[in-house]
Amino acid sequence: MGAYYLRLALRALRNSPVLTALMVLALAVGIGASMTMLTVLHVLSGDPLPGRSAHLYYPQVDPRPLARGSNGNPEPPGLLTYIDAENLLHQGKATRAAVMYQGGDVVQPPAGSALHPFVVNSRLTGRDFFSMFEVPFHYGAPWSAADDAGAAHVAVISRSLDRKLFGGADSVGRMLGFGGHSFRIVGVLAHWRPVPRFYDLNASRFGQIEDVFIPFNTARALNLGVNGTTNCYGQTTGNLDTSPCGYIQMWVQLDSRRAAAAYRRFLADYSAQQHAAGRFQRQPNVRLDDLMQWLAYNHVVPEDVRMQAWLALGFLLVCVVNTVGLLLAKFLRRSGEIGVRRALGASRRAIFAQLLIEAGMIGAAGALLGLLLTWLGLWAVRQQPSDYASLAHLQPAMLVATLALALLASLVAGLLPAWRACLIAPALQLKSS
Amino acid sequence: MMTPRPILSALRRHKIAAFLIVLEIALAFAIVSNAVYLVMGRLQRMDIHSGIDERDLVTLQISSSGNAGVPSAEADLAALRTIPGVQSASAVNSLPFTNSSWNSDFTKTPGQDATGYPATIYLGSRDLLPTLGVKILAGRGFSSDQYTDLTPATMLSAFFKPTQVIVSKAYAEQLWPGGNAVGKLLYVDKSQGQIVGVMSNIVRPQLSDSGTDPSNFYAVVLPFRVGPDLDASYVLRAAPAARERVLKAAVTKLQAMHPTQTVTKQATLSQMRREYFANDRAMAWLLVSTILALLGVTAIGIVGLASFWVQQRTRQIGVRRALGARRRDILRYFQTENFLLATAGIALGCAAAIGINVWLMAHYAVPRLPIIYLPIGAVALWLLGQLAVLGPALRAARVAPTVAMRAA
Amino acid sequence: MLEMREVSKVYRTETVETHALRGFSLKVDEGEFVAVTGPSGSGKTTFLTIAGLLEDFTRGEYLLDHVNVHGMNDNQRSRLRNEKIGFVFQAFNLIPDLNVLDNVEVPLHYRHMSGGERRKRALAALERVGLSARLKHYPAELSGGQQQRVAIARALAGGPRLLLADEPTGNLDTAMARGVMELIEEIHREGATIIMVTHDPELAARAQRNVHIVDGMATGVSEEPRFHPGLRERTAGDVSLPRS
Repeated sequence: MGAYYLRLALRALRNSPVLTALMVLALAVGIGASMTMLTVLHVLSGDPLPGRSAHLYYPQVDPRPLARGSNGNPEPPGLLTYIDAENLLHQGKATRAAVMYQGGDVVQPPAGSALHPFVVNSRLTGRDFFSMFEVPFHYGAPWSAADDAGAAHVAVISRSLDRKLFGGADSVGRMLGFGGHSFRIVGVLAHWRPVPRFYDLNASRFGQIEDVFIPFNTARALNLGVNGTTNCYGQTTGNLDTSPCGYIQMWVQLDSRRAAAAYRRFLADYSAQQHAAGRFQRQPNVRLDDLMQWLAYNHVVPEDVRMQAWLALGFLLVCVVNTVGLLLAKFLRRSGEIGVRRALGASRRAIFAQLLIEAGMIGAAGALLGLLLTWLGLWAVRQQPSDYASLAHLQPAMLVATLALALLASLVAGLLPAWRACLIAPALQLKSS
Repeated sequence: MMTPRPILSALRRHKIAAFLIVLEIALAFAIVSNAVYLVMGRLQRMDIHSGIDERDLVTLQISSSGNAGVPSAEADLAALRTIPGVQSASAVNSLPFTNSSWNSDFTKTPGQDATGYPATIYLGSRDLLPTLGVKILAGRGFSSDQYTDLTPATMLSAFFKPTQVIVSKAYAEQLWPGGNAVGKLLYVDKSQGQIVGVMSNIVRPQLSDSGTDPSNFYAVVLPFRVGPDLDASYVLRAAPAARERVLKAAVTKLQAMHPTQTVTKQATLSQMRREYFANDRAMAWLLVSTILALLGVTAIGIVGLASFWVQQRTRQIGVRRALGARRRDILRYFQTENFLLATAGIALGCAAAIGINVWLMAHYAVPRLPIIYLPIGAVALWLLGQLAVLGPALRAARVAPTVAMRAA
Repeated sequence: MLEMREVSKVYRTETVETHALRGFSLKVDEGEFVAVTGPSGSGKTTFLTIAGLLEDFTRGEYLLDHVNVHGMNDNQRSRLRNEKIGFVFQAFNLIPDLNVLDNVEVPLHYRHMSGGERRKRALAALERVGLSARLKHYPAELSGGQQQRVAIARALAGGPRLLLADEPTGNLDTAMARGVMELIEEIHREGATIIMVTHDPELAARAQRNVHIVDGMATGVSEEPRFHPGLRERTAGDVSLPRS
């Protein structure tokens, strides 16, 4: 019976090729637009460190003075001062912890290189950065705890910088001229691109990682500048590290809920102690978000992308309503044929099934064309200037979702018209009116 | 000619199909009017008047690495001014259409408890305002002996000690609405500075989402000279036709003066504006193409259902023709019918459009939909409906009156 | 009232040329009741479409109310149709989406007539056919006889000079047919000019004059038309099916 319905549906579709094409096209455009936008949304709202993100936390304390215009936000600032960062790093109990900030400076190519000096971004942090975030190494390894403590002139570089400077050779042990200083390379990273670039949301949120990694203490000793946001709250001293200026991000790894609760208590206690000492003017005001909470709190998914997704869903809705209308027209056009079929013994259920199969076939065609349009749409997104553009690729899960959505949309769209058409009374003649 | 009542009673007999068209038009109307509004918002933002002579300006930046010999802004500027075509040159901490800005809150009374008014800060040599084309509207500019050098070492402390200030017209208006700002005092914490002049508006480097937000023009100029060690850029003024050549010559000159440094940025201000709004432009295009596709799909729906109706009513069209309806009358019938359906859809869509807008306002930084967008959307959908129904209606008008004679 | 002289109608397709009427002549005077009969495919329907200005003809002359209608454009013909001619079809041809009153008002819509006037005329026409009680009913809710009465009311509402009836009782059972026929005769007695196409000799006999068409030509006042019991033809002329 199924094969018979399929044949009937095919014939019916062939009989009105223009209407069929219009329906498939409208459905495909709706599917294509919504899946393009949902794929982008899906990519951007993903977990950058699945499995680990639940144990990574971002501590915040509030060293601001009591009242100041644009500091009216009741939440503690997103960046730590040097003093607080050092205190939290040394007093807090965490499995791993790293403080960090972004810098940028000129790379001096090795002697004999044809390259001109060029500027790259750097991440100035501790060795736990690599183990905490499971950063993969292509050559070498992170620097040692002793390098951290002793502010050693060592560096880890990205694979792309290694390719550019050394042709991709194992550059461990070689020297890197950076910001007017010389650093011994201890490691080269393998390709790593967390999406979003969660560890520092002040800089490019979906961009590439930095090319140079240097110990935080070394960077402070050499006074390597901040290439990012610096927020100062009051009278400065002329020295960034003794001024009330936040510029540091900090991440801690806490392996259990109890450890997290304990750390949150520690932040409050620390704030109370600083308040008592007169350094903090405000009552303890702390946050300890885990990674996904931190991303949500910072509205990491761009508003444009969310709005596009809603727009695309509205669009899909219009396409579905459109398909309902066209299917209704298509089915009722065949009232005569359906009446005769009913008179010849076809049950309502049989008519309903036949028409739903027809709707499903339109859905299947719409899905395939929609998939093509999704692929085209994502290509168009990749041509956009935004930093997330290059991430917009079709994923297997979204591919399956596209096909499912198209079929579902067409079947839902087919329900009403098929129901309406199977109410047609049995008739012995084909009436023209 | 066609009175709506018989059309309406005929439509009552086709409730589902009529409702689907109404629903589709309503959804399209609601989405389109909101999307058009969003596009207009983007266009308005892209169209913002920067307050500087963009077409006459180029900018470039040289890196400065620690102990590799910090370039001196004064020496560089002196060299750059010798390039033929350069009318004036200055160093500046940031420029419109960049992602780097210096901002601070200023207060009208000293102390930490006073209300702060945020503004962006432009720092540069005496040549800065004339180079950019910014005019002093009231008071005066800084005199040369008021300038001091700002360096990384002195920056943090000096920055919080303004002595004299020039404010933009918009900022002055915000601080003292209708009053005269010249001579008034501004504070950062306990340090005070006196306003010596009010300048024409200059846009801040990072714009707010709305192009009409007055805070886009809250700017002050402080009398500090800055150099490459503070990531300052050089900005050169040249005739539009000479811009590209001047820029190229400037890059060559700086590169020759500082072989161990690198030119990290070089662009005309027009280029920077284009790049700054690239995202807005992309978003506007996306919205426009969505609107067009949506209208296209809606038109397809109208054509489909109207064709079906024409086919279904072929016989009664023939009867009407036999009873004396002219082709024009049949055409009118379908046009009027479509107009009525579109009107119902638009009415329903108005409610939905306002609903969507309220929802957008609650969840995103979207302002209230101005009422003017509703009639615009209405006219668009009326036209679309008439355009879409024209084909089927013409087909209906061609139905021969002899159809009425055929047996049922 | 109506005068056709040597009217010919040729239908051309790419391969075939069909002469539906050849040199057809007929004169109908004011107030006459003429029945047009003829076998299937003889050209009865073509005659009616030309008489009713639904189609133009190929050759000849046709004066309707002393006006030569040959070569008139569609708008002129529509206007004449609307003002001078009332149609009654075998299949009633009421518009299923409209109620009785709206159906009768349809031709009046195509004149510049006020809503009140339209209503008045439609009500009078429905009164005339005895259906004043069914104004809000839809065609599907009426019997065949009632539907045909509505159709007659629609034809009368515009005050036509000429009533063209195409097998007006063809779709009705005997009792209903009798009622409809009596109504037509009444209308005739009141002074209307009526041309009725039929294949039913009994009905034809009730007219004042019979015109018989064979092969697209009028054979004048005919002898008693032949009647084959059990074979009822359809007016389309090209298909004939036995009907129960």
